[in-house]
Amino acid sequence: MGSGNWSTTVYGAAEDYRAASGTSAFDYSDRLTASAPRHTWAAHPSLDPKGLTVRESRDSDEHPTSLALSVVFDVTGSMRTVPRVLQTKLPELFGLLLRKGYTEHPQILFGAVGDATCDRVPLQLGQFESDNRMDDDLGNILLEGGGGGQLTESYELALYAMARHTSIDCHERRGRRGYLFLIGDEMPYGKVKAREVREVFGDEIGEDIPTAAILAEVQRTFDVYFIVPAGAAHVGNADVLGTWRKLLGQNVIELDDLGAVCETIALTVGLGEEAIDLASGLDDLADIGSDAGAAVGKALATLGQGSGTVARSSAPLLDDVPGASGTIRL
Amino acid sequence: MHTIVVDLGYGDAGKGTVVDRLCARPPGAEPVTAVVRFNGGAQAAHNVVTADGRHHTFAQFGSGTFSGVATHLSRLMLVDPLALAAEARHLAGLGVPAPLALLTVDRRALLTTPYHAAANQARERARGTARHGSCGMGIGETAAYALAHPADAPTAGDAASRTELRRKLTLLRDRLTDELGPLGAPPVDACLDAFAAFAGQVTLVDERYLPRLLRRGPVVFEGAQGVLLDEWYGFHPYTTWSTTTFEGAETLLAEADRPHGAALRLGVVRTYTTRHGPGPLVTEDPALTASLPEPHNGHGRWQGAFRAGHFDAPAHRYAVEVCGGVDGLAVTHLDAPSRHSGLGIVRGYHTADGGPMSRIPAAADAPGDLDRQQRLTDVLLTARPDAAQSPGRDPHTWTEALTEALSAPVLMESYGPTTADKVYGGGGSRAAAELIPPGSRNRCPETSPAGR
Repeated sequence: MGSGNWSTTVYGAAEDYRAASGTSAFDYSDRLTASAPRHTWAAHPSLDPKGLTVRESRDSDEHPTSLALSVVFDVTGSMRTVPRVLQTKLPELFGLLLRKGYTEHPQILFGAVGDATCDRVPLQLGQFESDNRMDDDLGNILLEGGGGGQLTESYELALYAMARHTSIDCHERRGRRGYLFLIGDEMPYGKVKAREVREVFGDEIGEDIPTAAILAEVQRTFDVYFIVPAGAAHVGNADVLGTWRKLLGQNVIELDDLGAVCETIALTVGLGEEAIDLASGLDDLADIGSDAGAAVGKALATLGQGSGTVARSSAPLLDDVPGASGTIRL
Repeated sequence: MHTIVVDLGYGDAGKGTVVDRLCARPPGAEPVTAVVRFNGGAQAAHNVVTADGRHHTFAQFGSGTFSGVATHLSRLMLVDPLALAAEARHLAGLGVPAPLALLTVDRRALLTTPYHAAANQARERARGTARHGSCGMGIGETAAYALAHPADAPTAGDAASRTELRRKLTLLRDRLTDELGPLGAPPVDACLDAFAAFAGQVTLVDERYLPRLLRRGPVVFEGAQGVLLDEWYGFHPYTTWSTTTFEGAETLLAEADRPHGAALRLGVVRTYTTRHGPGPLVTEDPALTASLPEPHNGHGRWQGAFRAGHFDAPAHRYAVEVCGGVDGLAVTHLDAPSRHSGLGIVRGYHTADGGPMSRIPAAADAPGDLDRQQRLTDVLLTARPDAAQSPGRDPHTWTEALTEALSAPVLMESYGPTTADKVYGGGGSRAAAELIPPGSRNRCPETSPAGR
């Protein structure tokens, strides 16, 4: 249990109690969950993957070298208050990427995953946007808070969507892969199930696709990362980490301060784009007055080794143990 | 009539789903007034799945919440306001309107704080491979600190006073830090904010509340953990720092001047025996662990693995005996025997020296002798189970076998996770079971309530 974990728990609790007395930030989710019975809950029309053709990231005169960046987070109950914190933090991401010039023309898609076996809304996907319309998508995400409690969520449906329903110029025109960040605390199911694909997308795929196979497909066009944030229920679960490490190797990032999620993503992109090494990235964070350096440095320690392309160190990320110094980040 | 629901095993038998069913009263029946928690704290994990597929793991909220039944956290409960906030948030997300409004908390209930949890984790980590299987949430620390420093232990009532709470939290943090070194826990001011917010949102009540509640209508007392984990009767040191028998509920009933026998004592068992974390589980069978998937219990970070074995008749008989007998049983997972034909009942063991053992002896003379309990643990850790005998695939032969093994009638049968999967009263005589007259107790004949 890192200290970051405590900070989210304590502040999260205070906010939860305050929220219970009235106000809260996330309109669509709060209005829907407060006013409608659960069986009627549905994704906001702008985020519903049913009948999805493609989500496009395109070059334009204004953005001649677009870079596709997807951030899809788990909104099930085991994530506790994490999705809400993400909703407040992620709008900074765009600005962060631009400020130090890690990439000039990011186009960001936000999405959310749940559990297709028991949730009303197992997948929500916005559009790749390069302006504040992405904030609208983020605000419209339904925080269903369900999930099945079996340590699996339907991340594989997000992989399927990214593999089969995106078209991104950075790859198609320039051979540069985009980035996909999944944020969660559970394992994917072993297969993309044809039945669920039919229900969620309306696609007929004939037979199930093993998750490893759909991942390989995604990885042709996206570098895929999995971020396990502090404050979720299954943080540190060996099965979850083991499963994702088997799938993604070193691209599994344990982050013990949720407040640093944007910085973590930005620096990962900076590293991947070879714009920086980890040390200069951390300097950049200090430059812009961010206090996330320590958490980001720890989270990305194994990614930041070496220069150029992202290093694949074989050193395992260890169990996080509170620092002997007892330092507390709040 | 009030009902006390207690798990006769090592926890995870299905108290949550049983309480949920008791609270889902048919139209016209007298509604349950409240669920009362009388032991343990936020480490409880009682899973309830509604008919429309919503799932919540109840920790401090009572498992009748989906039916709109209020929860009272009694003076015997250890209240964790941070975990409570997260739980309320999840319930709200599942469509429970204003969950905190359903809650009353006795001012005398002890508070579990991040300092207790951090100390718990520090100690458990130091035990290395000899971990006790603690949940790492500070429950034992809360109880221990209150015993050592009764006047300084923070209570729910203190949360309403920043001055008093600051004094107690600071003292607590300093004492634990002196003992264990720096704790990964937040500053006192951050805790004060959260705890004050807690006091502002839940209804804090005094000792007059529960007696009124008990007069108003039927109450379900929801136990936590299981009798085989009891602090005094469990197999030391693999126990929880909590009285997991009926005793706490009976104490509260007595304080409210309810006559002895005012509540139905319902013991929950599953058709196979499970244990989360280390400690004796004589009937353990790795093949069963593998073939009986556990939807809501994974490998706990602090607790360790989830283990399964055949129904352990000696251990459950022991539980019935030490807790002073039960009026009836709620049997869960009755759908398992038809799907796993290898499932059976173990009626005896062989100890390490080869001797047969059909009964685990309860300490009739000196309950709470932990050296004795430790010796019992040593025997059980090396005992080998006799061959499991299967009552067959028919659930009714199972309920008959369990009635015979534990000398108590089966009053509720559960075949699945939701309320709709339960039969109360067995064989359709639900109404009769719901109104079992207090005089008709059918307690385990061998029972000589230990230490009572």
